[in-house]
Amino acid sequence: MPDYDVIVAGGGHNGLVCAAYLAQAGRRVAVLERRAAAGGLVEVFTTAGRLQRAVVDDLDLHAHGLELLRPDVRMVSLREDGPALTFWADADRTAEGLQAVSAADADGYPRFDAHVRELAGFVAEVQASIPPRLDKAAIGDAAAGLRLARAYRRLGARAARELTRVLPMAVADLVGEWFADDGIRGAIAARGTQFTAMGPWSAGTALVLVSDSAGNDGGAAGQTAFARGGPDALGQALVRAARAAGADVRTGAEVARVITRDDRAEGVELASGEQITALAVACAVDPKTVLVRWVDPVVAGPRLRWRAGNIRTSGATARVDLGLSELPAFAGVDPEALQGRIVLASGLDAVEQAFDAWKYGEMSDRPYLEATIPTLLHGGEDGHRMTVIAQWVPYAADPGDVGKRVVAALERVSPGFAQLVTSTDVLTPAGIEREYGVSGGHLYHAEPALDQFYAWRPVIGLARHRLGIRGLYLAGAGAHPGGGITGGPGRNAAREILRDLRRAG
Amino acid sequence: MAERYDAIVVGGGHNGLVTAAYLARAGMRVCVLERRDVLGGAAVTEEIVPGFRFSVASYVVSLLRPEIVRELELPRHGLEILPLDGTFTPLDGDYLWRLNDHSRTVRELRRWSLSDAEAYDEYGIAMAQMARFVKPILSAVPPDQGRIDPRQWLPLRTLAGSFAELPRRLKDAFIQLMTMSAADFLDQWFETDPLKATMSASGIIGTFQGVRSPGTAYVLLHHYMGEIDGAFRAWGIPRGGTGGVSLAIASAARALGAEIRTGAEVARIDVSGGRATGVTLASGETLEAGAVLSSADPRVTFTGLLEDGVLDPEFTADLARYKFRGSSGKVNLALDGLPDFTCLPGRGEHLRGAISFSPSVDYMERAYDDAKYGRFSARPYVDMIIPTLVDPAMAPPGKHVMSCFVQYAPYHLAGGAQWDDAARERFGDTVIDTIAERAPNIRDLIVGRQVLTPLDIETRIGLTEGNIFQGELSLEQLFFNRPVPGWARFRTPVEGLWICGSGAHPGGGLMGAPGRIAALELLRERGRRKGVRARL
Repeated sequence: MPDYDVIVAGGGHNGLVCAAYLAQAGRRVAVLERRAAAGGLVEVFTTAGRLQRAVVDDLDLHAHGLELLRPDVRMVSLREDGPALTFWADADRTAEGLQAVSAADADGYPRFDAHVRELAGFVAEVQASIPPRLDKAAIGDAAAGLRLARAYRRLGARAARELTRVLPMAVADLVGEWFADDGIRGAIAARGTQFTAMGPWSAGTALVLVSDSAGNDGGAAGQTAFARGGPDALGQALVRAARAAGADVRTGAEVARVITRDDRAEGVELASGEQITALAVACAVDPKTVLVRWVDPVVAGPRLRWRAGNIRTSGATARVDLGLSELPAFAGVDPEALQGRIVLASGLDAVEQAFDAWKYGEMSDRPYLEATIPTLLHGGEDGHRMTVIAQWVPYAADPGDVGKRVVAALERVSPGFAQLVTSTDVLTPAGIEREYGVSGGHLYHAEPALDQFYAWRPVIGLARHRLGIRGLYLAGAGAHPGGGITGGPGRNAAREILRDLRRAG
Repeated sequence: MAERYDAIVVGGGHNGLVTAAYLARAGMRVCVLERRDVLGGAAVTEEIVPGFRFSVASYVVSLLRPEIVRELELPRHGLEILPLDGTFTPLDGDYLWRLNDHSRTVRELRRWSLSDAEAYDEYGIAMAQMARFVKPILSAVPPDQGRIDPRQWLPLRTLAGSFAELPRRLKDAFIQLMTMSAADFLDQWFETDPLKATMSASGIIGTFQGVRSPGTAYVLLHHYMGEIDGAFRAWGIPRGGTGGVSLAIASAARALGAEIRTGAEVARIDVSGGRATGVTLASGETLEAGAVLSSADPRVTFTGLLEDGVLDPEFTADLARYKFRGSSGKVNLALDGLPDFTCLPGRGEHLRGAISFSPSVDYMERAYDDAKYGRFSARPYVDMIIPTLVDPAMAPPGKHVMSCFVQYAPYHLAGGAQWDDAARERFGDTVIDTIAERAPNIRDLIVGRQVLTPLDIETRIGLTEGNIFQGELSLEQLFFNRPVPGWARFRTPVEGLWICGSGAHPGGGLMGAPGRIAALELLRERGRRKGVRARL
């Protein structure tokens, strides 16, 4: 008798979500996390606005200590040469504020917001289901396909056509159709490139923007929510939920390989040599790690290893933590506007130029930054901390140099900022890879581009959580619906694993 | 008293001529109206420098649909494609030379990388299989994605079925080709930088994208489409320049009974009661027709040739979002001799193919970066052909013409700058400088030069913003979104008005496909579709 029904390898948020759902369904589950604490990349992402409502409710995360704070402001865009642009949860309030910048753009904003919501509504349906098979149709697919078809029809002819037109677009083109002011364009479009290795003029970034707003009331400006107590609090709530459901969560347990016998996954072996057996292994780490490092090359075969090795995982995001002796001053900015995401993305060309530098292995002097000061929202005892997500940072950039560029960029929008910095901690993509074990340091496990999307994410044939080896599953961001702190892949994977376990009897 | 036809075709470019030929073949009384004194549109040969004939714009043929060649009997009407062999990439002190002969190319690649040499054959086979799979899409009429009408979607079901049957690796390849950047796609196969750069260059021809931009891998297939249409050589130059293609189609159209008028500029498409009734020329003359098919691009057709108020505002707004974004220029040179490349001196075989200035992926990408910010590339991508080496009649004995296709040259320049004479000359000089870095003797050879900027392409040939494909071939403007979602089936909101140029599916590339499909669609709608007719 195997030790468990399911081993979840990797205790990031998707792994914990997957385990919790499996345990709730009565399965014997163990989560194995290499690090000293579970939660994975949750602590690298600064906000929790994309966490799926179904996950929060089904796992009763509030009861386990999660409190999500949603400020009225979503984001504020700061510029060296121009007034700050504030985007509120309320689109009309945003429009009022944008009047001074461009009346025409301001008038169009609520309609654009509604447009994004309409598209995001359909994308949310797509995210909630697993992709269809691409080799042969099956009855099971019909039900999911029918739901999607109905959602598509509900859009109406015009919106349906818009959907197929907009989703492959470059986000720069999308905002270009609605807004004339470069500052407004840049501020809105940037989110379509965050966490990716694409620029605003890259096709497929409109999809990233819309996906980021899917199922979370994000609209044009995206959702902004913080876990009270910091991202750790979300990680801890997930661990409690998993344990409360009956799952074992082991930390300090590093999976080294997947044990296979007769081309079937039977468990895992830890770095310590300990072997743990199970009916199924759900991998919440990135697919390249699983298929190239954890699975026996003979079992995987040269073809699968080649395809897995080609999964595009170039991380281009760095996280910079700054200790501040006091709150920085941002001239002319309503203090309330600082409670959300503070963005440096002054225009489309400016953001594209930051991306250009990275293409040639460099970091721009004017990177695209998104900063948060969560202590503004829920207070902090020991001074202020600002966390900055910086794009685009070369894999092995010198952390000291990265830190300097980020501080210098902030100095330009807040003269005197540099003097307030008491500490700088930088995680480059290489650092992210080292610390969290994710290939290439890519926070989404695999580039969220059109060629690694939906029914071919991470590659064709492995897009339905099943990794081509019986009993082996993908439950992390490398699977549809992709990256970000959503819990979507973990939840969908659990459903598929349960289905397969029931069928196997 | 207005002359009356069954169909009038606006524009005597190659697509318009194809449309006219097919309609005439079915017995319709057709008239083609061409603004210029020469036929061909962008597929035109002109004697710009006395004694020297240039393929002014389009300069190679690789995609002309074999069914068109066959059904219109074009060889009988003078079409002859002369083979071009290979692509030569000059570098600093070395070169990369790929030939049509795969085994010679593999030997050459071994100089650079053993694994690339091995991968090359496999790549060619996979791409040819991909091209075979994709080909039916080229002649399909896109469905309207806003409606679930089975009759429209049925042709796609067959395609979906054959997709399901493809081996896994080709399924991978297809999805990747539709979504990846050319450079990323090639990265999976090859490691040699100038090889990847040269191959990926074909992915950005005529687009406002870089080799690293997602969506450019698709265009890589085009080379292989040509290869599998093996009725004649894979790709080459028409005898007499690309104008030769247009003239052969025109000859076929006339033989089938079509009337073709040059120097006949259409000023307006006449509409009455929501129906197209004919056209009015700039001269004031009116011609009536049961149907009007425009091979001009969508902006010219809908905003230039229709009166205000004919189209509803929603369609007009949708059309305004159709992107043109010319990104290329052309430099045509009359030469006193042949360029001598320092990396491979002498008058060798390498001059008889395409000469590609694409030394590295970074070089290609930087050329694109310049354009994004409103400048022509400081060091552009240049694709050069010397047609006189296979078609000596294009120039006086011992002399040559050279066609240089250049990217990038954005239509919109930064800071309000204009494509005036000075800008044109600077652009031309930049191209010559680029060539001279590898073939220093070029400057001494030039006896005449023609530089076409995107603005020139727009004003001379009538292509909006100088986009050679009548609209960007980006993912959101292809297939059922070309030119406007809901209007991708060659019909327009005006009853009796059709579009038949590259602004319709399947887009540009000197295929003749839009012209043919539009004609067949009209005939189908009129219930008059006939089979192949033997005709004198």
